[in-house]
Amino acid sequence: MEATFYIASAVAVLATIMVITRYNMVHALLYLIVSFLAIAVVIFVLGAPFIAALEIIIYAGAIVVLIIFVIMMLNLREETVTQEKTWLTKEVYVGPALLSVVLLAEIVYIITSGETTSVNQPVIDATAVGVSLYGPYVIGVELCGILLMSGIVGAYHLGRQKKKIVHRFLEKIEE
Amino acid sequence: MSKTDFLNVIPLFMLTSSAILIMFSISVKRNHKLIYIITAASFVADFFYLVMYHPKVKWVIEPLFIFDGFGVFNMGLILLTALAVTMISYAYFEQREERKEEYYILLILATLGAAVLVISKHFVSLFLGLEILSVSLYAMIAYLRRRERSDEAGIKYLIMAAFSSAFILFGMALVYAVTGAMEFSGIAKFLSTAPQMPLLLLTGFGMMIVGVGFKLSLVPFHMWAADVYEGAPAPVTAFIATVSKGGMMALLVRFFNLVDGYRYTSLVVIFTVIAIASMLVGNLLALRQRNVKRILAYSSIAHIGYLLVAFLAGGAMGIEAVSFYLVAYFITTVGAFGILATLSDRDRDAEQMEDYQGLLWRRPLTAAILSAMLLSLAGIPLTAGFVGKFYLVAAGVNNHQWLLVSMLALNSAIGLYYYIRIIAVMFERHEGEEEPADMLHPSVYIVSGVTMAVLVALLLWVGVYPEWMMDVIKTYVNS
Repeated sequence: MEATFYIASAVAVLATIMVITRYNMVHALLYLIVSFLAIAVVIFVLGAPFIAALEIIIYAGAIVVLIIFVIMMLNLREETVTQEKTWLTKEVYVGPALLSVVLLAEIVYIITSGETTSVNQPVIDATAVGVSLYGPYVIGVELCGILLMSGIVGAYHLGRQKKKIVHRFLEKIEE
Repeated sequence: MSKTDFLNVIPLFMLTSSAILIMFSISVKRNHKLIYIITAASFVADFFYLVMYHPKVKWVIEPLFIFDGFGVFNMGLILLTALAVTMISYAYFEQREERKEEYYILLILATLGAAVLVISKHFVSLFLGLEILSVSLYAMIAYLRRRERSDEAGIKYLIMAAFSSAFILFGMALVYAVTGAMEFSGIAKFLSTAPQMPLLLLTGFGMMIVGVGFKLSLVPFHMWAADVYEGAPAPVTAFIATVSKGGMMALLVRFFNLVDGYRYTSLVVIFTVIAIASMLVGNLLALRQRNVKRILAYSSIAHIGYLLVAFLAGGAMGIEAVSFYLVAYFITTVGAFGILATLSDRDRDAEQMEDYQGLLWRRPLTAAILSAMLLSLAGIPLTAGFVGKFYLVAAGVNNHQWLLVSMLALNSAIGLYYYIRIIAVMFERHEGEEEPADMLHPSVYIVSGVTMAVLVALLLWVGVYPEWMMDVIKTYVNS
């Protein structure tokens, strides 16, 4: 069981190294997703299934989707469509796919073996997290709300100003 | 949450509610003056609450906050400084066409972040306070989007602050992995039983020092300071130089004293090297600058270096010296940037040396105030800066830190050169025509003028009769 921890960690390190050495954003992104998944497995094996689920939902889900949005908005030329077709060739996805297969094998093993944690620690489930967040750390949760508020107010102000600057590619399309 | 808990967190609660109130007020109607009044009133009310009604006993809200004299004193200092920054903001933003109202929300939230920092006793509240402060500052620095350098400054601060936050988080994770505690007292308990500091823990502390050093713009994490100071609007620069740094400094003092970091030579050596490097690099880089904002940026690096002398001295005397120097430094810095803000025109800040040429003959009162502020920064007698520096030296000598004290003396002498140079420029005869009169209604400038007058009065009062301020600090810090 302890081997699952080390394999998942190795996958995470490997995938992250690949992220920062890729020159193509989309290739890096594929490895980034694998890295998040591997970290989720690590967290799960350490006995925190709820945080592992959050890791997948928030990081591999929401944040990666946001990055994809940004990439899509930055590439508005017509030749990018043909360029995108060349991106998904075999050598591009075989690396992330292999790493994901390793993770999948681990998950299958964990589920079939029935062991949920590698170290002798109690499993911290969603209830425990909730009780802690809304018990002693409730002021912390409120401060997180304030943090989001400052982020949103700032983004609103800075984003609104940007409207006046017409994007050079958008301008070309409208002609 | 008990009643006493609630009475203690009311200062934070008031700041939050005023930010929300402003948000609603904007959604009804955008009125710069009204929002400015709400902001100023909330700071004043908050400060009054803190001084008059706040329970004076030490109170702990497990696990995040501690309300002791040191925390309350620093919170009050932060609130007053934020109030002064608000006062100089109105005239500054009134003459700019962009939407000004959101600035006040961000200002209040950033103040809240700093206030959380000074009372935190747990990594969670430390990090949340730090992030609230930083995230608000990102937008505040890049607030005037049409300015040439505002985007550059904003992006620079964003990347550097995010990077330093990552360092702090990694450091916290390492500390937690070794000690099993995220509360400062828990870490202290671990250290008091451990025979020596584990290497992993030292690494964790080192990474946290990187993050803290960034916030305080200590050498070698000072790269952002000059560019951000130059690109940000003048009131925001005043805020970064004072509230943001003061909050972090107070936190550092609290943490270091609680875990008793003075026992570990490695930590003391790290801080000593950082202090000497900050003093030297800050002062030497300032010598060649022609831009007043950049000079003040480098001088602030040096001043935080001076502060570290008293910080390293430790003990009650060290904490008093740090608190006193922070007061003197806040008054002086807000004053200097306030003058800079009042001299700025619609398109750019008055930051070049040429803007100050002959200021004494054009606007004698403004020039006199700025001279007083600069002399205080240099540490000339009869100003708050002198007493502050004297306190620092006393704390250092008390603890036999001759190297640090001699570096402080040497650097004060270097610093004198560039402060005096600005004053000399103001004395030069101005050639060329008279500048056009101010564009706004004169009543707008009355508020800034009164704020400046109050700051100068404080500067001289603290400089001539420092006993009162010392007594206040002693009663608060030792309670």
